[in-house]
Amino acid sequence: MARKVSTRRKAVNTGIAWTVGLLIFFPILWTVLTSFKTEAQAIADPPIWFNFHWTLENYVTVQERSNYFRHFWNSVVISVGSTLIGLAIAVPAAWAMAFVPGKRTKDLLMWMLSTKMLPPVGVLVPIYLLFQRFGLLDTQVGLIIVLTLINLPIIVWMLYTYFREIPVDILEAARMDGAGLKDEVISVLLPMAVPGMASTVLLNIILAWNEAFWTLNLTAAKAAPLTAFIASYSSPEGLFYAKLSAASTMAIAPILIMGWFSQKQLVRGLTFGAVK
Amino acid sequence: MATQHSRAAARFMISPSVLLLLGWMLIPLGMTIYFSLLRYNLLMPGEHPFVGWENYSYFLSDPAFKIALVNTLLLVGGVLIITVIGGVLLGLLLDQVMWGQGIVRILVIAPFFVMPTVSALVWKNMFMNPVNGLFAYLAKFLGLQPIDFLAQAPLMSIIGIVSWQWLPFATLILLTAMQSLDQEQLEAAEMDGAGPFSRFFYIVVPHLSRAVTVVILIQTIFLLSVFAEILVTTNGGPGNASTNLTYLVYAESLLRFDVGTGSAGGVVAIVLANIVAIFLMRMIGKNLDA
Repeated sequence: MARKVSTRRKAVNTGIAWTVGLLIFFPILWTVLTSFKTEAQAIADPPIWFNFHWTLENYVTVQERSNYFRHFWNSVVISVGSTLIGLAIAVPAAWAMAFVPGKRTKDLLMWMLSTKMLPPVGVLVPIYLLFQRFGLLDTQVGLIIVLTLINLPIIVWMLYTYFREIPVDILEAARMDGAGLKDEVISVLLPMAVPGMASTVLLNIILAWNEAFWTLNLTAAKAAPLTAFIASYSSPEGLFYAKLSAASTMAIAPILIMGWFSQKQLVRGLTFGAVK
Repeated sequence: MATQHSRAAARFMISPSVLLLLGWMLIPLGMTIYFSLLRYNLLMPGEHPFVGWENYSYFLSDPAFKIALVNTLLLVGGVLIITVIGGVLLGLLLDQVMWGQGIVRILVIAPFFVMPTVSALVWKNMFMNPVNGLFAYLAKFLGLQPIDFLAQAPLMSIIGIVSWQWLPFATLILLTAMQSLDQEQLEAAEMDGAGPFSRFFYIVVPHLSRAVTVVILIQTIFLLSVFAEILVTTNGGPGNASTNLTYLVYAESLLRFDVGTGSAGGVVAIVLANIVAIFLMRMIGKNLDA
């Protein structure tokens, strides 16, 4: 990989790449900056860049007026809950498919993937009516059920591609050394499986946190996660840029940080192993 | 290696996933198809008589359907063109030797992690707003008339917002593919006298074709279902100017409470998505054998 290039060429590359990178990142940077301004400074003409009086009042106001942390908590419960339940269902399946593959394992995996291709709007009406009927509209439980099901295929797939990379020979070796089934799972397989499971969990929390079809359609005030709560700023009276920015910054910050940690796994997870 | 016993255990371990997904697929899908054949409006209580294909002919002959279909294709096609071309260029750029490559990579990937409602609202208010948006300041600074993007070019504006969200995905995947390219092959071609353009078109492009296909297919699946960006920016308007198929079905079902027509539209959306899905599944399936 070590390619030799002149320092000059490297400097030019660096200049262009940083400019482009900052341009793409700019909307996020601008949102974060605006969240620390007053409303007047936020719409000042000409725009103020850094030399404003930094304030936290927007963060305080957003919380006071709309009970922000309830929605934040809803996002946490729904994304983490659906991921952990999905994991509990998917681990045995992926494990079995990776270590005891049958003739139809491949067909089964492809079929699971195909359920992900179903456009959500195709089942919007029945899900909405079923939710209405069973009192699941605007509840955390309802959203956890839906998000578990829509992300289950991705979880199974990701785990499968990780588990498949665990060398089976090592089990034979452990058995030769006299390890029982329990030792085999706990001290041999588990340590090798944990990194893959961790990446799977991370990516799925991100996907669930940002899911914005079912969360918008199935919640109102009570169970609304941040996706739905922030959508309420689309009304004209929501033209408070500094407060919108504060609410947005808090909504994207945790996921940005998690996302940066999971960027390598992102490719594998989102292409179902087709690009590694 | 697999014994009768371990086979049974495997089946037992797999069955919860299969049963849940089977239920998730068959129950709502069956209901959608069933509702699509009934005259069923939530505002009109009483019987839901069987009307056969009436909802389909109503939905398909509605002028809004044609507009929505064209908008859906423009949205998917526009975003694909921008993100694939932009992704290749950005991938090439990030693949160069530079200082702080990791940080630039992080900056470029970031928009992918921004939830759709946030990115749509930030663009709508803080950039595209004709009075207070940054684009309006920029236009005034350059002595131009500010544009009301979401009123004058709603679909184009949404294509821009969605492209910003998906550009990182295309870039990341294409960059990953580029990094797996054999450098020695490139150097050999260079020594044989191939210029930068022929090296790009004869070595890099063929190597990337598979990754590009994956990007196109996966993005298409997601782009057919763009919803939140439209809901919070234009509500599908003005008129139907930025309504896509997903939004139209949502409006029929949950705004006009027409369960029958909405379900028929849902079935149409499923058929369209399946056409794409078949190609995607083949690509991924081939990879499983490798």
